[in-house]
Amino acid sequence: MFVKGVGMTKFDYSQKSWWQFAFEAGLEALEDARLKIKDIDAIVFTSISSCTDPKQEHQTHKISLLSELFKTNCPIIETPSVCAGGGVAMWTACHLKGFKNILVLAGEKVVNSISEDTTDKILSAAERIFEQTEGMLFPVQNALLWQEYAKRFGATSDDLALIAFKNHQNAALNPKAYYFKRPVSLEEIKNSPIVASPLRMMDCALSVNGGAAAVISEEKTDIEIIASAFATDYLLTFNRKEFWHFVASKKAAQMAYQEAKIKPQDVQVVEVHDAFTSVELFSYEDLGFAPEGKGALLIRQGIVNLDGKLPVNPSGGLKAKGHPISVTGLAQFYEIVNQLRNRCQERQVKPVPQIGLCHNVGGTGGSAVVHILRRLS
Amino acid sequence: MMQYFYCPKCKETWPYPIEKCPHCFEKIQREEQGKKIKVLSVCKVQIPTFLHEKTPYFVLLLEDEKGHRWVQKSEKEYKVGYEFLLEKAKDKKNSVVLWKIKYDFYQAIEKIFDLLSIDVLADFKILILPTLETPVHPYFKENTSPEFLSALLEFLFQKGVKKENIKVLGQSFNQFDIGACAQKSQLLSVCQKFGVLPLDVSQGEFILKENLEIFKEVFDSNLILNLSMLKQSRIQSLENLLKLIKKENYLSQEYLSSKEEIFKKLLEILPPVLTLGQADVVQRKDKKHFILDLLLGSFNVLNLERVFSEISFPNEIPPFLKEIDLKEIEIVGRKISEVQVIAFSL
Repeated sequence: MFVKGVGMTKFDYSQKSWWQFAFEAGLEALEDARLKIKDIDAIVFTSISSCTDPKQEHQTHKISLLSELFKTNCPIIETPSVCAGGGVAMWTACHLKGFKNILVLAGEKVVNSISEDTTDKILSAAERIFEQTEGMLFPVQNALLWQEYAKRFGATSDDLALIAFKNHQNAALNPKAYYFKRPVSLEEIKNSPIVASPLRMMDCALSVNGGAAAVISEEKTDIEIIASAFATDYLLTFNRKEFWHFVASKKAAQMAYQEAKIKPQDVQVVEVHDAFTSVELFSYEDLGFAPEGKGALLIRQGIVNLDGKLPVNPSGGLKAKGHPISVTGLAQFYEIVNQLRNRCQERQVKPVPQIGLCHNVGGTGGSAVVHILRRLS
Repeated sequence: MMQYFYCPKCKETWPYPIEKCPHCFEKIQREEQGKKIKVLSVCKVQIPTFLHEKTPYFVLLLEDEKGHRWVQKSEKEYKVGYEFLLEKAKDKKNSVVLWKIKYDFYQAIEKIFDLLSIDVLADFKILILPTLETPVHPYFKENTSPEFLSALLEFLFQKGVKKENIKVLGQSFNQFDIGACAQKSQLLSVCQKFGVLPLDVSQGEFILKENLEIFKEVFDSNLILNLSMLKQSRIQSLENLLKLIKKENYLSQEYLSSKEEIFKKLLEILPPVLTLGQADVVQRKDKKHFILDLLLGSFNVLNLERVFSEISFPNEIPPFLKEIDLKEIEIVGRKISEVQVIAFSL
């Protein structure tokens, strides 16, 4: 499959509805693709919101509302898959047969009413009976996982602070990121309050609202999707055989490299699912960019910085661009396509990359999707 | 401490009580629980959330000798490598056991019997008194749930108790027919499935003790199990026990004494009763539900209700229970602060 166009809203706390975010991003992707809605043969949509807003309609038949907004009767498939929703929607679209142009779409208004409601809905991406009632919410899961990683391989909280710092620097250059023009100092990061030891507030991604979209096609364009891989893992994080990294990420990455017929060292720009800075660090290894236990070297040596050999999260990542749950996977796609098309202005990776990778994770490694894109011209 | 289930053929394990192995369709069995439990790591949580408002608290990552790992909330910070031990109740008569159900009533029942050091002998005559008040489906959380009764019967059969020695009791004090309540709550079908006798107490014999006419079989049994469905602002476990009094006698007593006085008198008359308080999904005053995922067990019904109130609605403890000093109650299994989650609507 090939990419015709991409679209994305500003990530923020504006009080538009989930469908307004989705529609806005969808229109931008259509315009970017120079297509009209009549040219779209199918839509794949993902979202977890709409039920987080007590004042808003509780809409689970979202596909029908999208039909009305876009004035189309084409098939619309909904693939809610929590934080990996965007990736899973793209994977679904890539594996659909017989459709020439597909609009892949996501919209979320997760940060909405009182924080309890928002937290409750976000927590539905993890396990309640065995884990959440025992106090294990997302930061705790990731903190315990990180402790195990650090114990085995000797990485430190300073490494995590460098990742947060890098992503904030990048976001400051991204007009659609929440932290655009608002750089955060390394000192602020290191002094932020501890949420779940040893993870600090500035190790955690920022929940925001937003939308993102892409139009993919069987017709050849300048950007080819050379791999689309998807793997899952157990919901109970510590019931997995290995719990110091994400096996699903490793498997999806291996499948993707095989499908693309490339090696990790061929990749020139990456969007990693940094829901926590610790996830970004061990994902360097899961995605094959560093041997096991050596991921920290990539941040210490500046390899993953914007001007490094392998820039990671030039958009600012989930950490500083923001993380509107299902939208994230498509927002990564938006960034990589624009990087390959040399459209990213101040944050443009130089030289303009030819191969980029998107890594989108659901929950705490319960699912992972890897897409690899190649610029043809 | 964590129950796992396994396939005897494939040796795969699950913490979820599934029926059959997806690989070979073999029936899944209950695995013997690990005995040596070690603390693998500890996380100190400092930011409150809607489920856990009180901070700091600790989340322990535990591992048993079989390599099973799970997490547990703790008010105490343990050292990594610490060997975790579960202490039994010292004061068997008054202790309260707290245990998380985690989709498995059987293990929770087993733990309560173990921590209270209760021996169930094969020739025991057992009376079971569930909460049975209204003819509604189980999801209303009005009556004892059929899963709980099923697990209890399985546990008793595992101990060798004969089905003819078990009776499940009920008596209607309101306008509802007890048969309709038993049918709609699905407790009747559980009795039928296990071949256990459901018994309408009102049809039985009563003996007079200090102005109260008590169901006679209470004094001939080896074990009485009070299966109460715990609720906000109700002392459901005690209300269950009232069903052992003849209805007409109880109604006449209500004119003469307060409910609290009847409770007190009844507790003096009755032989020891083991209350197993079901608090998996709890009904609030507004009839909405929230998850607590707990089973409570005690021979002291007042202590049990006091602990339940403290866990679930500390600002609304019924006056009758307020006089009970929580500090005087020995709590085993889990600590109150570990199992307290905010009463959030489902």
